[in-house]
Amino acid sequence: MNKFLLLFFLPLSLFAHLNIAVSYPYIGALTKTIGGDHIETVVLAKGNWDPHFIIPRPSLISKVRNADALIMNGGQLEIGWLPPLLNRAGNPKIEPNAKTFLNLSHHIELINKPASVDRSGGDIHPDGNPHFHLSPQNILLLANTIKDFLISIDTEHKAVYEKNHSEFLSMWNQKMKLWSEKMASKKGLKVIQFHDNLAYFNNAYGLVNIGTIEPLPGIPPSSKHTIETIELIKKEQPCCILHDVYHPTKTAEFISQKTGIKVVLMPHDIEALENINDLGSLFDHLTSAIK
Amino acid sequence: MKKILLASTLCAALVYGADVLPMEKRTFDQSKFIPDISLIMDASFVDRNVKDDKVGHLELPGVAHGLLGSHSDGGDEHSTYNAKNGFNLNYAELVLSSSVDPFFTMDGVFHFSEHGAEIEELFFTSNALGHGTRVKGGKFNSNFGYLNEQHHHSWNFADMPLVYEAFLGMHGINEKGAQFQWTAPTPFYLMAGFEVLQGENEQMFGHKTIGDVENPIAEGKDAPAMYIGYIKASHDFGNTTLLGGLSYAQGESRIDHSEEEENPHAFSGDAKLYGTDFVVLHALDSYKSIKWQSEYLQRELDGIQYALDTDGTVLGSPSMLKKQSGLYSQLIYSHDKNWKTGLRYDTILKNDVTRNGSDVEQPNGLNKYTAMIEYHTSEFARFRVQYSRDNAMFNEDGAREKIDTVVFQANISIGAHAAHSF
Repeated sequence: MNKFLLLFFLPLSLFAHLNIAVSYPYIGALTKTIGGDHIETVVLAKGNWDPHFIIPRPSLISKVRNADALIMNGGQLEIGWLPPLLNRAGNPKIEPNAKTFLNLSHHIELINKPASVDRSGGDIHPDGNPHFHLSPQNILLLANTIKDFLISIDTEHKAVYEKNHSEFLSMWNQKMKLWSEKMASKKGLKVIQFHDNLAYFNNAYGLVNIGTIEPLPGIPPSSKHTIETIELIKKEQPCCILHDVYHPTKTAEFISQKTGIKVVLMPHDIEALENINDLGSLFDHLTSAIK
Repeated sequence: MKKILLASTLCAALVYGADVLPMEKRTFDQSKFIPDISLIMDASFVDRNVKDDKVGHLELPGVAHGLLGSHSDGGDEHSTYNAKNGFNLNYAELVLSSSVDPFFTMDGVFHFSEHGAEIEELFFTSNALGHGTRVKGGKFNSNFGYLNEQHHHSWNFADMPLVYEAFLGMHGINEKGAQFQWTAPTPFYLMAGFEVLQGENEQMFGHKTIGDVENPIAEGKDAPAMYIGYIKASHDFGNTTLLGGLSYAQGESRIDHSEEEENPHAFSGDAKLYGTDFVVLHALDSYKSIKWQSEYLQRELDGIQYALDTDGTVLGSPSMLKKQSGLYSQLIYSHDKNWKTGLRYDTILKNDVTRNGSDVEQPNGLNKYTAMIEYHTSEFARFRVQYSRDNAMFNEDGAREKIDTVVFQANISIGAHAAHSF
């Protein structure tokens, strides 16, 4: 009787596919590319939101409750919103340590790991900067990790996942050449950011981040720090302020007026800006944003 | 004595963890198993237009007394939050949580006040059963309604909504028992839960014999004596989330105020509580949002009221039927990560008290208005100023006392990052 009830409730798609919940859109895109027709992805966070602050809506509990697997970014990026969802879902498949749970940060070398961990330094990430997907090189590592993960939970379709992965690989390698060429002239350029979420992008193309508009990670701008930043810009002559899409640009506009340097909106994920609908267009945009 | 022992063991364990040898070289090192720890303090400065000596004696007629200030009961001193004019140290809350093994997690919430320590919550949870089920056992805040499960430090105001505090007391439904919840495999959120609880609520539920066991005023019933069921559903419309719930609680009621210094009394009977909650949250961006939260509670107490002498002699035992209801509705605007402001309206809608079949006249217009503004220096520290006008309190002569209160509240936490549910 119970089984009939379940059949009645479960959407039919669940039987045909692996239903994978992912925290952010970029993970969804990568997983879908490699999984192809054999998986469905359910993205929990929206791409135009601050990835640190996602409202743990009850609808997200249903999404992880119905998932066969979960892939998260990790590096404490989800610490403020994902744990209560997992706790309420009653789904052993999405519990950390389950075979069907993947923490991507465990497969990437994180940079900027703080030497001392203390909240007087702001809301720091003890494991290092978690915005690692903004390096095209890391996307390759992540694609490989996700391919291995999909094979480990669905060996039957190994060949399909490997084929999709190698197709993605050759496409991405070509794109990376283009992006490198575009960015070659930008090497050594100094930039200012709101929050250091482009650390990996800057590393990849030799941009030098000289400061952030927020005085410390997670601490909103103060007038004292803003004045210091203006002084810094006058002295160091960075090209521009690279700004995320979710923090208000008010302080950046003010600094821009005082110093004459441009504010450039830099999307951090798919759907962060209107025309960015896949990983390729995300990096196309990022690599052409700095004029 | 036990508490001292516990505290010193804990300290010893922490000191041991801070040994000089690097972690990987300690042969029997266990420090990596230290649970997530956080400590939350709540302190306030209060300016109330009614004197401390007087405020504890005020009552919400026909519903509850002792809602404000501090009062003594059989030699014990009881304080509510923000009890006194001037400075108040409301509590220190120590939270420990960790996985136990692959099947369970355990959470402990310890409430320290100047009068002592309490186990506010201590429970294990299992998610390992699958199929959307979750089982909890121990002592915990019931998931009845919306606000009941939340701790004081995640409320949007410094005090509890009037109807909650009046019907259930300052801890809400906080009981020993077992909880079973099931999230349905639906595309929208649908959850049903059932709880079996001991039933020891100070204001409404209770099962213990009142008076001398040999010759009781009112005989008790063995626990578990309280049962709760609820269903909650939620759906998103773009950036707007709706959440609604229906809850029901029923159980034995034994309210023992036999040791009170003035007008000792007791109640014995059955209690039923119905709750409806509705929350709408509209997110304007990552930090800016508007949240409208309302709950309606209705209760029925049916039994015998015992008027007592100071030595416990029953002076009268009329039958008593109380049908009461109330609601609160609050609107919170989050401007950014730093600023939040909010308004709350509280009212007791219905206050029908029948003694021996005849109505007891109760006053109307039992309501309260509250406004607050808060500043967060970070996710870990919050400062709030709150003003409230309370029109629901009456003094011993039956005259209304309008209470104006300004609370300046500081709520600070250290340790593990708290992740709150919706």
